[in-house]
Amino acid sequence: MRRYLVTLALLPVLLFAYLQLGSPPPLSLQWTLLSGGAAVEFEDFQFFYATLPRAALALLVGGAMGLVGSLLQQITQNRLLSPMTLGAASGAWLALVCASVWAPVLMANYGAWIAMAGASLSVTLVLLIAGSGGLAGLPVVLAGMAVNILLGAAASAIVLLNDQYARNLFIWGAGDLTQTDWNWVIWLAPKLSIALLILLFAHRPLTLLRLGEAGARGRGMGVFATLALLLPAALWLVACSITAVGVISFIGLLTPNLARALGARRAGDELTYSLLLGGLLLLGTDAIAVLASQWTTDLVPSGAAAALIGAPGLIWFTRRKLTAADHSSLQLPAGVMKLSKTALIMLALGVPVTATIALLWSPEGAGSVSWRFGWPSDLVFSLRWPRIVTAAAAGGGMALAGVILQRLIRNPLASPDILGMSAGASLTLVLSVLAFGGSIYQAGPLIAFAGSLGVLLLLLLLGRRHHYAPGVMVLTGISLAALIDALVRFALAKGSDSAYSILGWLAGSTYQTTDGKAWLLLSGVIILATVCALCSRWLTLISAGDQVALARGLNVKRARLALLFLASLACALVTAVMGPVAFVGLLAPHMAAMLGARKAAQQLLLAILLGALLMILSDWLGRTLLYPAQMPAGAIASLLGGGYFIYLLTRRRAT
Amino acid sequence: MTLISNLIRPSRRPLTRSRACIALATILTLTISVCAQALTITDSRGEHEFAQTPQRVIALNWSMAENLVELGVTPVGVADIKGYQEWVVRPQLTDSITDVGTRSEPNLERIAALQPDVILLSSMQEGMVEKLEQIAPVLFFDSFRADHDNFDVSRQIFLQLARLFDKETTAKQKLDAMDTRFGELQEQLKAHYHGDLPKVAAVRFTTPSVLRIFGDNSMAQAAMAKLGLQPALPQPATQWGITQKKVTDLGRIKDGVVIYIEPFEQADDLFSTPLWRAMPFVRSGRFAAARSTWTYGGPLSVQYLAESITDALLTLTP
Repeated sequence: MRRYLVTLALLPVLLFAYLQLGSPPPLSLQWTLLSGGAAVEFEDFQFFYATLPRAALALLVGGAMGLVGSLLQQITQNRLLSPMTLGAASGAWLALVCASVWAPVLMANYGAWIAMAGASLSVTLVLLIAGSGGLAGLPVVLAGMAVNILLGAAASAIVLLNDQYARNLFIWGAGDLTQTDWNWVIWLAPKLSIALLILLFAHRPLTLLRLGEAGARGRGMGVFATLALLLPAALWLVACSITAVGVISFIGLLTPNLARALGARRAGDELTYSLLLGGLLLLGTDAIAVLASQWTTDLVPSGAAAALIGAPGLIWFTRRKLTAADHSSLQLPAGVMKLSKTALIMLALGVPVTATIALLWSPEGAGSVSWRFGWPSDLVFSLRWPRIVTAAAAGGGMALAGVILQRLIRNPLASPDILGMSAGASLTLVLSVLAFGGSIYQAGPLIAFAGSLGVLLLLLLLGRRHHYAPGVMVLTGISLAALIDALVRFALAKGSDSAYSILGWLAGSTYQTTDGKAWLLLSGVIILATVCALCSRWLTLISAGDQVALARGLNVKRARLALLFLASLACALVTAVMGPVAFVGLLAPHMAAMLGARKAAQQLLLAILLGALLMILSDWLGRTLLYPAQMPAGAIASLLGGGYFIYLLTRRRAT
Repeated sequence: MTLISNLIRPSRRPLTRSRACIALATILTLTISVCAQALTITDSRGEHEFAQTPQRVIALNWSMAENLVELGVTPVGVADIKGYQEWVVRPQLTDSITDVGTRSEPNLERIAALQPDVILLSSMQEGMVEKLEQIAPVLFFDSFRADHDNFDVSRQIFLQLARLFDKETTAKQKLDAMDTRFGELQEQLKAHYHGDLPKVAAVRFTTPSVLRIFGDNSMAQAAMAKLGLQPALPQPATQWGITQKKVTDLGRIKDGVVIYIEPFEQADDLFSTPLWRAMPFVRSGRFAAARSTWTYGGPLSVQYLAESITDALLTLTP
């Protein structure tokens, strides 16, 4: 109980310090104001209507996030889970973007409900994909990642085509607690009261759930009924919180882990203590945001501050306590068991055929637009082919990275994005734009490459202790991705046209490619693929499990390191030329396996072909569908791939 | 350090300079042999020779399109015309202009089909220069930078464009008329405020709790300077001249006027709060709305800004 005493004593101290930030009225006056005295000077109003509600909101939202994080992690026995990994934020974000572009009136009046509907839908989707069996381990995290990427891509595509409309949303995306009255507190507080019910009644079923599902059922608990009550309650708390303040990540993920590290063992204890700690944490991080806003010229959103503290915190935790549940061997997705020659030939032919169509068939004309099929003029040819080659090479490269990672992590839901290579490249580019101004395209591929390699180095350093175990890698990747997300949102929220070019780059486009870059990427991917084909025996062994691999005399640690390096290099290369290309790396290996490519070498070849095909197609669609406007190939690939992926997973669950 | 800065600002000069030199030399010899009076236009990359006045021009940036229309040149293509009509509004584009796609990824093939004589680019579009040069000569004007005076540079760009399109008289007339107009507006303000002009903060609201202040290097502040108005809440120069702040930071304005540029859809949510009503400038009635005006345009957009700011200030009792 000493833990509670210390925390409870810390709370008023922190609160008091928080209230003294900025230019508060004298202490005696603060007390008068708190006890109902009327405000006179502007400072009094500011204290009562800005500082106090902000502190209250920080405590409320932080507490709710902490509680929900603990609840989710206890229900699923998964310490990687948080509202944001479940896709709540990206769902709300997409809903808000859609509403503000197509139904601005609705947006102005019902923004909160729209955000909530989006958050609910996306979380439901993630839970459906993961299934009740997947809640405990990596599957739910990876499903969340996939849905996050899909919804994020859709939102970016809409913003790119309608940038001016969505601009005012960026500050919400960055997660800011700034208040100008008590309205949000009054809106939020009653909606969070459901938390009390959770505190009172959830600890018993949670304790039973620790015995495992069967154990809980054996003690007479209705597992399904319990989940059907607790999950919507958690979702409601999250949706309300992010509606009020925007995207604030990490608090929900970090708090329960911290609570456990500080000694919260029993179910009820962890819930209560996470609630308390969450409030404390968000108040503390928000104090940093407030201070930073005073020191720097621009406003620093609370979400950015939370991520800046949360990401290293999380990485530090995973270093100490590895908790991610790893699969012992890879279960390839269901499908044909043997690769047919016809499929292989069709695909091998499909790539050049699609490339030719993409080269020859396009809408034309300045006044009236008509589709034309025929050999383009020399100029148009020289404009088109580098894009097609780049798209194909990028697709192949990401597919290659995907096959390696899925076999390394032994999970068919793993995507190269989770390692944070693309995110690392984005981070360095965005930082250079923030620091030096100018366009993100100007900053150049060298910086992107350096960023990717920096992340790789970090992963290698952090992973060494755990023999490059997949769980640690994933967690580090996720932490980095969330940190970078927050920074990107901060850059976007700053306003100005830089945001527009950052978004364009993040969507992954072949627009900026040149002859030289296209050949460089192609030859790089071919070399990597060759090396990888030579190590395909390692891939086969590692995906069968560490024991099997060791028994066959493989130095698992060294093999993992080499393969990880290969995958990272492929990601870094693609990202440097095209920007982040999501989903291809997840989908292509998946489809290859479903077509019957069960052996590592087969899967590698087929996935590369499929990846190239998908990207050529995406680039072509991006160039032609909205002619004369163009969409980045990466965004189209995410939409195509993401949609197909969700279709696959829901169909799998239906049968 | 130099190594780092070289990495960060990639070596576009060393790369393109040699190529530009060859191109320039070729053009020079060509033009000297063809006609003696070649035009030299200076953009952000250096000098470019034009043998004759370009007839078909494409503007891939709204401020470039705006400058062309002000000069009386009708471009054959402009990027994101719908967006221009919604956000820039003034001056209007004629219907004959072809849309060439988005500003971040304009459609190269359509641009090529329009057979331009010159293509105009502006800030954030430098990466496209190399590709577009395959189609036609390109002028890139880096109009918005933190390390130069945006308004000053916008005037120079305007004059360079006037030279290129043989509209120097029009340009001088327009700029002179603008300066005269600044004078008139200032007189109106002085008369209204009895010679004692207030300090002004020009802002745009993002949400009921966050806003952008137009600080040093912004077009709005350039307009204010021309009107003889001092900033009420000075902000350091940035690339676009804007700084994001909390709404409560406006409370630091003890004496001065706040002008916000419309639109602000959630106006009611903010203006009805006790905190807002307690702001010193709201209490003393020194707060007004200026009609929606493009704030990242060319020199003449500054005149429109000055007009809407003046109109807003004239609605206040001194």
